[in-house]
Amino acid sequence: MHNSQPPAPSPQPPAASSLLAVENIGISFGGLKAVEGFSVRLPAGGLYGLIGPNGAGKTTVFNLLTGVYPATTGRISLDTQNLNGLKPHEVAAAGIARTFQNIRLFPGLNVLDNVQLAGQLRAREGLASTLLRTRRYAHEESEIRRKAFELLDLFGLQARAEEPADSLSYGYQRYLEIVRALAAEPKVLLLDEPAAGLNSQEKIELAKSIRQIRDRFGVAILLIEHDMGLVMEICEQITVLDHGVIIAHGSPPEIQNDPKVIAAYLGSDVGAV
Amino acid sequence: MADFAQTLMTALAVGSLYALIALGYTMVYGILKFINFAHSDIVVLGAWLSFTMAQRLLPMLGLDPHNPATTPPLWVGEVILLASMAFCSLIGFAIERLAYKPLRKAPRLNVLITAIGVSLLLQNVGQLNFVFGPSPQKMPALLPTWELLRVSLPSANGNRDVVVGLVDVVIIVTSAVLMIALEYLVFRTKTGTAMRAVSFDIDASALMGIPVDRVVSFTFVLGSALAAAAGFLYALKYPGLNQPAHATWVLLGLKAFVAAVIGGIGNVRGAVLGGFVIAFVEQFGAFYLSSNYRDVYVFALLIAILLVRPSGLLGSTVREKV
Amino acid sequence: MTQQGLATAPLESARPPRERGLVGTVVNSAWPVAVGLTVAAMMHVMLPTTIGPFYTRIVIDSGIAIILAVSLNIVNGMTGQFSLGHAAFLALGGYTAGMITFYGSLLLWNSPAKQGGFLGSGEWLFAFACLMGGIVATLAGYVVGLPSLRLRGDYLAIVTLGFGEILRVILQQTRPVIDSVEKLKNAGAAQLWPPPVGGAVGFNGLPKYTNLFWVYAFATFMLVVAFRLKRSSLGRAMISVREDEFAAQAMGVNVARIKVLAFMIAAFFAGLAGGLYAHESGLIMSPRDAGFQRSLDYVLMTVLGGRGSISGVMLAAIILTVMPEALRDFDQYRLIVYALLLIGMMLLRPQGLFGIHEVWDWRPRWRSRAATTRSMPAKGGRPNA
Ligand SMILES: Nc1ncnc2c1ncn2[C@@H]1O[C@H](COP(=O)(O)OP(=O)(O)OP(=O)(O)O)[C@@H](O)[C@H]1O
Ligand SMILES: [Mg+2]
Repeated sequence: MHNSQPPAPSPQPPAASSLLAVENIGISFGGLKAVEGFSVRLPAGGLYGLIGPNGAGKTTVFNLLTGVYPATTGRISLDTQNLNGLKPHEVAAAGIARTFQNIRLFPGLNVLDNVQLAGQLRAREGLASTLLRTRRYAHEESEIRRKAFELLDLFGLQARAEEPADSLSYGYQRYLEIVRALAAEPKVLLLDEPAAGLNSQEKIELAKSIRQIRDRFGVAILLIEHDMGLVMEICEQITVLDHGVIIAHGSPPEIQNDPKVIAAYLGSDVGAV
Repeated sequence: MADFAQTLMTALAVGSLYALIALGYTMVYGILKFINFAHSDIVVLGAWLSFTMAQRLLPMLGLDPHNPATTPPLWVGEVILLASMAFCSLIGFAIERLAYKPLRKAPRLNVLITAIGVSLLLQNVGQLNFVFGPSPQKMPALLPTWELLRVSLPSANGNRDVVVGLVDVVIIVTSAVLMIALEYLVFRTKTGTAMRAVSFDIDASALMGIPVDRVVSFTFVLGSALAAAAGFLYALKYPGLNQPAHATWVLLGLKAFVAAVIGGIGNVRGAVLGGFVIAFVEQFGAFYLSSNYRDVYVFALLIAILLVRPSGLLGSTVREKV
Repeated sequence: MTQQGLATAPLESARPPRERGLVGTVVNSAWPVAVGLTVAAMMHVMLPTTIGPFYTRIVIDSGIAIILAVSLNIVNGMTGQFSLGHAAFLALGGYTAGMITFYGSLLLWNSPAKQGGFLGSGEWLFAFACLMGGIVATLAGYVVGLPSLRLRGDYLAIVTLGFGEILRVILQQTRPVIDSVEKLKNAGAAQLWPPPVGGAVGFNGLPKYTNLFWVYAFATFMLVVAFRLKRSSLGRAMISVREDEFAAQAMGVNVARIKVLAFMIAAFFAGLAGGLYAHESGLIMSPRDAGFQRSLDYVLMTVLGGRGSISGVMLAAIILTVMPEALRDFDQYRLIVYALLLIGMMLLRPQGLFGIHEVWDWRPRWRSRAATTRSMPAKGGRPNA
């Protein structure tokens, strides 16, 4: 870990107004308790990290938050809305968007359409106006298109708007996934290992972009990442998972010096950093 | 009581046939994850080959193939059965190598469509004049019409005789022998272990040094042999053979596939279970409700089971990992 | 690569959306329909006399095949569900429409024969009947779409196939057609239920209203819907379900709704086409038309055309309708050629003739990609791994 700062014994500040409040959620697969008693309070505009060794249950936490798996215990709320029991598309509508650890773009749609898809979340025109091409429908579609282009432009992808999504390079595909998620205009953005597969130069750029996304769009971000340097650099608070349970939570310096965290990572991929 | 016993007998025989055919569907699906639509055409091939051989062999033995009173010695049936199984295995092998193997990495829909293409091809090649021809034929009798058992049982209108015919017993016994052999092969031999491994994870098996191509080929050979046997037995039971592209064959195949799905596709024991479940529902439904709707019972059962247990009776649910 | 993070100012190359006035919108909305109807009317007036009844018949068959294949493509191609039961909707629509024209004519005009000429009263009854056929099929589409929420891929295929087969058997059990008003008035429940639509022999004696105008009017309707759908938010949602159901959900796509909607739209048009089919002269709608083998015909068209390519599927529908006619002389070998073509296609060109692209996308798309690759902006903040 190259961020070797002196241990800061500052207690974590109580999140006064948390946007995403997760309390004690968990799930098991068969006998395996993949996640147990997970809690986090993410304030509006916060940028938090979620780390842990392989198989710790990080992705499973995202799946719980987005309604892919029903949480068997606990409570998830966004603003004032209770998200428990919502289906994934309802969670997305409520304002949580995500990216995937192993990129899941829509390869048969072009870059623009991947981003435009999010438009259907807020689209109010139904089948009839779609087929009749009403004015309101046309307006709505052109708005969706405009917004999509704006986003693509921001990430330098607009020149490739008409290309199939899978023709992009790996790094661009990761960006496109983020753009696609942002197009849903989420309050909370969940990023699952966005730096995986990027080289160190690209990682530095990604770190910058993530911060800027937070600042520009005002979204709260929860970031899963194996790259410790990246996490320590940009995250305000970090939660560490191991074997499905939280073993530490705190600011980057606290985490770096937490003996439990070090123990959990020993022999694991900490050396890769 | 008599009706019940008679229906039971039929259901057991028909169930054995469904099970034999379903095994081929399930083994291929278990390994390559696609519905081998051409499988039912192997059954047809088995039946028509049996017919052709019987037609040729009987005159050589000085028998009239069109006279059901004169039946050849039992070994003739056995020879025909084995020859037809061997030939169909060869065809199954060739189909896999030529049509399916190049698509091993292709989307499953493509393989499915290819299978439909192969099925159409087999049907229509079969109907060519110089192959089996475009008209129905009558299968020569290979078994004497012995009644092994005739008991008088009470039924709704007085006592009725329940007949246990040789054909039914031959079907049930032959199928049982084949299924037990298959069970032994799949669960007790090294080849069977390899088959199960490939079915569990084809890529990992390849990495572990299992000769995947050979295992897949073997699976097709095995499934085709069973299908040929089913075709032969079917021709014994229902000697009026429809032409190769006739809808009854498609329906027979569909029902056997339904059996495999109901049992839990990919599961060898499930296919057998499914075969009998389908046959019982069909035969008893036909007898006690209305025989006009026998196909409806089968497909309605399929839909009901899939909606309640999407992976079939003995299938295991796999959750997609994200 | 320079480091500048996110770009701050939009590039001039970002396309501004086009705005239209009210008239523009109406024109924009209605012109394809107007063009289609005009073409259909012209075909109706001119074709039969110029090309003769045999070729007219093929053109009609092609039109019906286009409707069926393009509608199936909404489910199989765009939404990525695999239906093997499309013919069930065809049959349902055909039988419904047939009942309306046949018994409607009996009651209205005392005879099931054709009434009036081009666009005469009989034809309007027929058009209404086709619409009703479409609506009944839509309801069935809802029912058949429901299993798609629980079942994927092959399992769904088998269930849709099961629906088709069930319908086929049920249609076989229907009562004989009642062909006179007196018999109809004196008919008891036994003659009327199951409905008197001909049983296994098929629905005989329908007035043969289907002509080029109606076929291509409905085909226009189908194509306008298909193209508009494809380019809309709804269409994108459908394609996203095909591409990755899971990611689609995460993007807020209500997968259940989209799948059922796709089934219903497809079923509507199949029902409509069923009405046309039932009233085509020289054909008798029969229970077999509900079954698996007929469904397969349309599946092959969508596969050959390319999943998601409307124009490709149209072309395939025409090819696969014309080809058997062209191969008529080879009779026995016809289906063998057909089968070999299919296998060869899957081995050599698995994405279909046109993949996901429209016919006219071919060159321009290739060109524009070449252009963009050359002019890739060297904007900062992005990896170019
Ligand atoms: N759908 C599932 N069914 C069964 N087990 C699962 C499922 N999803 C996850 N698991 C198990 O739960 C545990 C946690 O998995 P998860 O994917 O959340 O780990 P992770 O922390 O994201 O790991 P990685 O860093 O490798 O991405 C693992 O043991 C995994 O095998
Ligand atoms: Mg993970």
